[in-house]
Amino acid sequence: MTVTASPETETSGPASRETVLETAEDRLARARAALAGAEGRLGVISGLALDPETGATVSPRAGALPVDSRVAGLLPGNVLRRGAVVSAEGSTSLILALIARASREGSWAAILGLPHIGVVAAARWGIDLSRLALVPHPGAEAAAIVAASIDGMDIVVLGPHLALTDPDLRRLAARARERGVVLVGTSPHPGTHVALRVLRSEWVGLGAGEGRLRERTLTVARSGRRMGAPDEVAIVLDAEASEGNVGAGGRPSVAREEARRVLGLA
Amino acid sequence: MRGEVVRRAVLWVPDWPIVAALAEADLGAETPAGILHGRGLVAVSAAARREGVRRGMRKRQAQRLCPSIALLPHDEGRDVRAFEAVAVAAEGVVSGLEVSRPGILMIPATGASRFHGSEAVLAEALVTVVVEATGCEAGVGVADGLLAAVVAARENVIVPKRSSREFLAPRPASDLVQAAMEPRQRQAVSDLVGVLDRLGLRTLGDVAALPPGDVLARFGAVGAWALRLASGGDLAPPVERRIERDIEVREEFEDGAESVERLVFAAGRVAEALDRELSGAGVRCLRVSVAVTTERGEVLERIWRTDVGARPGAFVRHMTDRVRWQLEGWLSGTSGGPEASTLTSLTLTALDVVAAGAEQDFLWGGVSGADSRAHRALERIQGLVGAESVLIAEEQGGRTPRDRALLVPWGQEPRGGRRVDLPWPGRLPDPAPATVLVAPEPIGLLDAGGSPVSVTSRLYVSAPPTWAVLYGESVAVEAWAGPWPVVERWWAEDGSRRAFLQVLLADGRAVLVAGQVAPHPGEWALEAVYD
Repeated sequence: MTVTASPETETSGPASRETVLETAEDRLARARAALAGAEGRLGVISGLALDPETGATVSPRAGALPVDSRVAGLLPGNVLRRGAVVSAEGSTSLILALIARASREGSWAAILGLPHIGVVAAARWGIDLSRLALVPHPGAEAAAIVAASIDGMDIVVLGPHLALTDPDLRRLAARARERGVVLVGTSPHPGTHVALRVLRSEWVGLGAGEGRLRERTLTVARSGRRMGAPDEVAIVLDAEASEGNVGAGGRPSVAREEARRVLGLA
Repeated sequence: MRGEVVRRAVLWVPDWPIVAALAEADLGAETPAGILHGRGLVAVSAAARREGVRRGMRKRQAQRLCPSIALLPHDEGRDVRAFEAVAVAAEGVVSGLEVSRPGILMIPATGASRFHGSEAVLAEALVTVVVEATGCEAGVGVADGLLAAVVAARENVIVPKRSSREFLAPRPASDLVQAAMEPRQRQAVSDLVGVLDRLGLRTLGDVAALPPGDVLARFGAVGAWALRLASGGDLAPPVERRIERDIEVREEFEDGAESVERLVFAAGRVAEALDRELSGAGVRCLRVSVAVTTERGEVLERIWRTDVGARPGAFVRHMTDRVRWQLEGWLSGTSGGPEASTLTSLTLTALDVVAAGAEQDFLWGGVSGADSRAHRALERIQGLVGAESVLIAEEQGGRTPRDRALLVPWGQEPRGGRRVDLPWPGRLPDPAPATVLVAPEPIGLLDAGGSPVSVTSRLYVSAPPTWAVLYGESVAVEAWAGPWPVVERWWAEDGSRRAFLQVLLADGRAVLVAGQVAPHPGEWALEAVYD
């Protein structure tokens, strides 16, 4: 499918002759809705979708994926623009945070070449695990696998050691842009739109043999095309989980008593 | 009530437990024998009966009457197993028979007797086929109603239509026990017969003459059951035993299959055959079990979902790929199965069979376009790197970050995940680390003096860790917490006693390390990174 409806033709065209072409516009909208419905049923890569609020047709390729409020400030426009290439260097949590909200709201995501991904952390960030595919070791077929993922997923995360050359990456980025897929890399690739790099990570909550990790402040350097001068942003991640979430083993002393009881050492 | 009565034939093999036990013990049918269960005999052979041995006698009493008696163990499984041969033989003559209990077959006689010509011919055919196939002497009776048919089978007679009541009337009330098929029911019925006997109701005719309301009021459900049977009635239509063929396709590899090329063909053939079978039966299936047997006799089985309802015609391709991947995995020995081995046969069995067109859609109204697009992409990736390389994750119960992740190949039914909602005492606290090492890396923890830190048997850290040695580099420890002991399966050989520390390094990294607890303190291992 190569249906592309750029926002310009949609807004400027009818606006100038609104009164004359009202019925024609309605008909166009109806036709587009029918097309979108048929495409949805057939599973064709959708070029058009209905905006749920206005009822107007919008092009998802020009659209964006929502981002968790804790990290939205890192991105221009506070959203993941479809077709963008984003890199997040130095923090796996940051990657999970970037894709979490979109996943929760129905997007499919594939994580390629990151065998050490923490599944529980992904779930805690709100990623829907039933829409998350993992390919821990893509091996020599990496380029074909990334291409296949771009065809089917909304977000593709690329791990650090994929067998991809720079021309491969450029081709894949172009393909992602065409399909409206967000590529998230662990290091800046050629054609990266937003490059995030963790400069410092400061944890709060640990003492000398007491407490536990509670809250972290990441200082992230961001740069990118058309983003002006590189700047630094501090974000707070992993903020204090509520006590109820922590479980019986939350405090080492409690866990120790429990284990001693089990072992008969109390 | 008369209208509900079904004409039945009953095939009865006398003393079935004895017949089965003698056959298993390789003794002749004329051996005096008894089945001993608990404190007494539960069955006695004809030869032993002639010597005066009776059911219910104690072992010693039986041996006194007949010193040569062979006492055989009671084994219900053996009785049922052996009777299957009789049932299969009888199925050569009639269809839709029901095994009431080992020794008694119930056959709806109307259609069968019409087919064979008459009830007498049917009875003869049954007796002949059972003798020929199994060597057991059997009696066949035909009558209206359950009890009359069972009693008729013992006497090898055919009771004319609508005369069951008269046929039963002169017989002793204790014959009711014959119609009780379950041991517990038999006990209840024999209790009832005892009471009836004390009340002076000796024959079935006496029982049948009682007013139904009073019987129900006095004796409850058992009484109503007895009254109904004594008057030649029926309880429920016979349960037909029909051999439902599993929809299953099997391919044997005569000289063993080792090469992937052969398997590609085999997989395609088998998948097509299964599709044909399913279409022929007018059904689809939601899951398919793929099973192979190896040269060494092992049976490997995996269950795959077949969510291809939305894409007609995709079934064969879908299953071919899955079967091929699974076989490749098993052949190479990489998919967690046993060692690489030659395969000797392949079986596909359709599970969750539903009528065609009634496949269950996804909970939220069918496979959406985006979902089926993603499914296709994942299938394609599985084609590129193998089914086992595309994983879907699930959270499961557990204490350590690694234990709490369950990874299964995409498209495969997850099995045996631990429940998340159990308490899991000693679970490590949140936050969950974003990086969980697939295999732990060794890490050294040193105290201020440079000697290794360990966890004592009282679950304290021997000294505060001051330096961490990771990949040959020393990093200062900024802060640490713990130890969180995780004691798992401490009663078993494979149990572990570990203690976890959260360690914050001077370079800003926060890591989770695990060490064995004394009395076997070991090395520390880097388990996860909070990155």
